[in-house]
Amino acid sequence: MYPQRFIILIVLLLFLNVNAQTCCSGGIPLSNNIGLPNYEKGTLQVGLSYDYNNLNTLNEGSNTLNDNSRLRITHSVLLNTSYSITDHLSAEGLFTWVSQRRKITQFGNQNLDKTSGVGDAVILMKYNFNKVLGASSSFALGLGAKLPLGSSTKKNNQGITLNADLQPGSNAWDVIYWLSSSKNFDFRPSFTFSTRFTYRGTGTNNTYLENSTYKFGNEFQAFLGFSDEFLLLKTIVNTSISFKYRNAIKDKIDGFDLDNTGGDWVFLIPSFSMALSPNLSFSVKAELPLYSHVDGTQLTPTYRLTTGLLYRIKPRLKLGLINI
Amino acid sequence: MKKNVFYVLILLFFTSCSSSGENDSFQSNPNNNDGNPSSDNTPNWLIPVSEVRDGGPGKDGIPSIDNPQFITASEANFINASDLVVGIVDGNEARAYPHQILDWHEIVNDDINGNAVTINYCPLTGTAFGWKSESNGVKTTFGVSGLLYNANLILYDRSTDSNWSQLRLECVNGELISQKPKLLNVVETTWDIWKTLYPNTKVLSLQTGFSRQYSVYPYGDYAVNNARFIFRPSILNNDLPNKERVYGIIDDNKSRAYQFSKFGTGKVIKDTFNNKNYVVAGNQSLIYAFELTGDYINLNFEYDFNSSEGVFFKDDEGNKWDVFGKAIAGPRKGETLTGAKSVVSYWFALAVFYPNPLIYQD
Repeated sequence: MYPQRFIILIVLLLFLNVNAQTCCSGGIPLSNNIGLPNYEKGTLQVGLSYDYNNLNTLNEGSNTLNDNSRLRITHSVLLNTSYSITDHLSAEGLFTWVSQRRKITQFGNQNLDKTSGVGDAVILMKYNFNKVLGASSSFALGLGAKLPLGSSTKKNNQGITLNADLQPGSNAWDVIYWLSSSKNFDFRPSFTFSTRFTYRGTGTNNTYLENSTYKFGNEFQAFLGFSDEFLLLKTIVNTSISFKYRNAIKDKIDGFDLDNTGGDWVFLIPSFSMALSPNLSFSVKAELPLYSHVDGTQLTPTYRLTTGLLYRIKPRLKLGLINI
Repeated sequence: MKKNVFYVLILLFFTSCSSSGENDSFQSNPNNNDGNPSSDNTPNWLIPVSEVRDGGPGKDGIPSIDNPQFITASEANFINASDLVVGIVDGNEARAYPHQILDWHEIVNDDINGNAVTINYCPLTGTAFGWKSESNGVKTTFGVSGLLYNANLILYDRSTDSNWSQLRLECVNGELISQKPKLLNVVETTWDIWKTLYPNTKVLSLQTGFSRQYSVYPYGDYAVNNARFIFRPSILNNDLPNKERVYGIIDDNKSRAYQFSKFGTGKVIKDTFNNKNYVVAGNQSLIYAFELTGDYINLNFEYDFNSSEGVFFKDDEGNKWDVFGKAIAGPRKGETLTGAKSVVSYWFALAVFYPNPLIYQD
């Protein structure tokens, strides 16, 4: 019953995405969405999410300019899988399909450029250290790579190659360092305090526009979250508030800094999830900028919405191993 | 119950997305890029389409100034003496367009004494032109296409949506392919030189209608870093540093380059290029050339910068000429020399559009 419902919901999500010209995403949310929770050996998790990233705010430094003529949107469909090889070691993969859009509304006209296709992917190996931070705690380290599966040479309808920002892929391997920790407390066991850090050291596309190189700026993200569970209409729901700090250094073309890229951002991320069944959960979250300081003048995130389903398949109990 | 809650949430989410600011009304615009190369409806280019670049901001992402406002020279306190301006004169009307505004807008669609004028400037090649705001003989305005060829601006006209290569001085794609713009004489020089020559000049105001930080140059050290390109041109010529500003005379597909350093505190030379005779007058901040035909060829010229009279050079007949080649005193008063088809440009740009320029040597 539940798997059938899961399949129906996936089909529903995909159908809505393919036809949802009205929904949109700048920047594929790779670092945002890796790091599924760790479970016992043999547990398989499969998540399917949809991410909508809207950039419609033009900033000069931390000042917002009175100009909303540029709209940059990225729609992403994210397939996230994780398998626990042991009780401590797990492997995770994040695969993407993206649709990038750039719309300019100026002088009474609207001009749209868009690309879509398979985006880059991430593989991540994680090791979980139990109770390093005391009882009811977890601490995990991860090391991963971003695989350049996406195209970086998409063209517009005149055969002109679009710039790096609009491409589904970067044609570069990145290295990803990941650290996560959480702690529950005796005064309220369902309350969780968590932190997560990711650092992405980006590689270089050595064939950018055939005669140049392009390197997206290295990126650091830090998350600080508070979550709690409670019953709502006989259903366990989880709500959380997170703060995210993101720093990206400037992109480089041919080894030289590219102006008007990079910056510092702080976001507030309220999220909500609920268990649809013991193995299936649904989540939705928003990402709202609290502070932005960009290098030069550039579009900066206005808001991001992410929703998805996560299905967990636990290993079957091996009764023969029970010590009587 | 939880199933219902879930479906309601899904519905709410997609409802919120559908009202999130993107609509489909523009889908009928044939100029929109739907990511499908097979739907190319204007396939013919005079330039290799593989060398046309998407600049990043998109079409009109760098907005032209279509309703320019002007202030007096004394009010233009945001310009430093050494800042560059593009200047044009029509009758008694002199106007200056500061680089620091053009860096952010690239195109100004102006009207001077009833004449529609498009001032266009490419910050990545350092090239400025003035041309009539016409396409196919019809008044129009030009905008920034968001495309570049050899790092140089491609404009589009708003009448036919044709694409015009600025430094090539030609429509390279669209209905008006192969047409040439009608050039107007403009000079590029420092603010102190310009306002000395034209103290009554009007100056493009910072009140552009757009919110930009005009005191900041948006391309970092691009203008002085000879190794740095944002869009690498197809060929480079090592005869001069890539970003050296040179004055170039253009004729057909050839060019002749003059270095500002060769003109020092002031100099006038007579030169021959591509079987045409020119007089080239200038100093370290301003160079302008005129084609000599008829009995002008026999005149001998001398540098004579006289700011109070607006004089730039004089000749052995007793004529005094202003920077746009108009005789303002002497027996030929009222006559005007024919301005050369010319531009101030970064060396690399002149050399890639008009390969192997001849460099003037003393």
